Amino acid sequence: MPEQQAKICVHKLTKRFGELTVLDEISFEIRAGELVAIVGPTGCGKTTFLNTLSKLMPATAGQILIDGEEADPKKHNISYVFQEPTCLPWRTVRDNVAYGMEVKRVPYRERMERTDKIMELVGLSSCAGLYPNQVSASMIQRIAVSRAFAVEPDLLLMDEPYGQLDVKLRYYLEDELMHLWEKLQSTVLFVTHNIEEAVYVAQRILVLSAKPTKVKAEIPVNLPRPRSFLDPAFMEIRREVTELIRWW
Amino acid sequence: MQAYKEVVVKTPLPLRILPYLSVAVFLLIWELAVRTGMIPSVLLAPPSQVFSLFIDKLTQPNPDGAVLAVHAWTSLQEALIGYGLSLLVGIPLGLAMGWFRVVEGLARPIFELIRPIPPIAWIPLTVFWFGIGLAGKVFIIWIAGIVPCVINSYVGVRMTQPTLIQMARTYGANDWQIFCGLCVPSALPMVFGALQIALAYCWTNLVGAELLAANTGLGYLITMGGRLARPDIVVLGMVSVGVSGAVLGFIIDCIEKRLLAGIRR
Repeated sequence: MPEQQAKICVHKLTKRFGELTVLDEISFEIRAGELVAIVGPTGCGKTTFLNTLSKLMPATAGQILIDGEEADPKKHNISYVFQEPTCLPWRTVRDNVAYGMEVKRVPYRERMERTDKIMELVGLSSCAGLYPNQVSASMIQRIAVSRAFAVEPDLLLMDEPYGQLDVKLRYYLEDELMHLWEKLQSTVLFVTHNIEEAVYVAQRILVLSAKPTKVKAEIPVNLPRPRSFLDPAFMEIRREVTELIRWW
Repeated sequence: MQAYKEVVVKTPLPLRILPYLSVAVFLLIWELAVRTGMIPSVLLAPPSQVFSLFIDKLTQPNPDGAVLAVHAWTSLQEALIGYGLSLLVGIPLGLAMGWFRVVEGLARPIFELIRPIPPIAWIPLTVFWFGIGLAGKVFIIWIAGIVPCVINSYVGVRMTQPTLIQMARTYGANDWQIFCGLCVPSALPMVFGALQIALAYCWTNLVGAELLAANTGLGYLITMGGRLARPDIVVLGMVSVGVSGAVLGFIIDCIEKRLLAGIRR
């Protein structure tokens, strides 16, 4: 990928809860269309980090810039895929996928076009008219991912979206995520505690330290796709990252 | 796409006749208790006598001044107007209290103060304000019904899953969008619960409301029976209140199931 100007620029982001410093001057940049994974030891404040980045929580200090402007959910398209299911049970699958765009007041016609396109990509078309409690857990997470991509996000945050699914499904959905990301060229920040998952999806991995959280290391992953878990280069990067966050 | 299949489960015969059996046995014991003199007939009328009075009252306005249908119609009118008004005011108020801090701050203290006052305690003031017509009775029934409406709607909004709200916030949704698009739909099952509870509150306070000078109504029928020392009239009034209340409850239950089925599968 050619060198581009940074799309997301996080500068000395700090979050304190009273005396407790959770995020300690975190700085990094993400280029447009880049997929960056964030890994860190358990309890390193990953969720706080995402909540601060998404502006759900005010930061104590520091800046988050999107295209050089202060990030604002009302102005920028920020999407957040939560670990827990976040489908609206009273909406059909299709209307759930369209929800983000509806909030953003995307015109009806365009909304429907984009919804159809993305549901086609992730194979949700066949259950467009069903309600969330009529589809499986993996479908629920796909709905959330589709909804997030559908708003054409400036920044897409994913908080261990596949953490609660079994291994087989996870592999499947990771491939699907790759497919979506390559097609739609979104800028993605993928948080996970699963190192293998991080190496599999990311172009670059940011390793966080234990609290107070800082960026401990930055590891580029220049492996060709599709990646193989058995490729020696893959295993080498996985080992390297594991060494960095091992706490035992 | 058909995702669900209707499953028919047969109830065994004994279980189906059990409810009828219990009612029949209850009536029989009651009848016998009065007939054998265990309970003096000046204190309680046997069901057979109540039934013959019921047949009588379908056409006879004496001795309380109106046929049964007129009494029932009056009560129904009062109860339904009061009920309707309590839904109309209570549900929006409760929903707004659940989401908008300002509304909660303004309305909650007043509501908490009014809530423990039994609706019939309002009777004297009601007479001052509205006189003794329909409006006063409706007011008391309204006060009775509004409490569960407010509470259920309030709790329903409060129980909205916080992640859903966070999700909407990250898409940049404003307070109004979150309230209408998330909180209200997810509160609906609780709100529907209120329909049933409020109806029960309204109907049980009907007799209380009709203690206000009235000349028709089921509550009035009961009061008159007492005044005339006619236990059969009292019991007929009570049974009418009970039966029509149960029928109303059943109707609301059906409506509720219909509406809920359309909203949440």
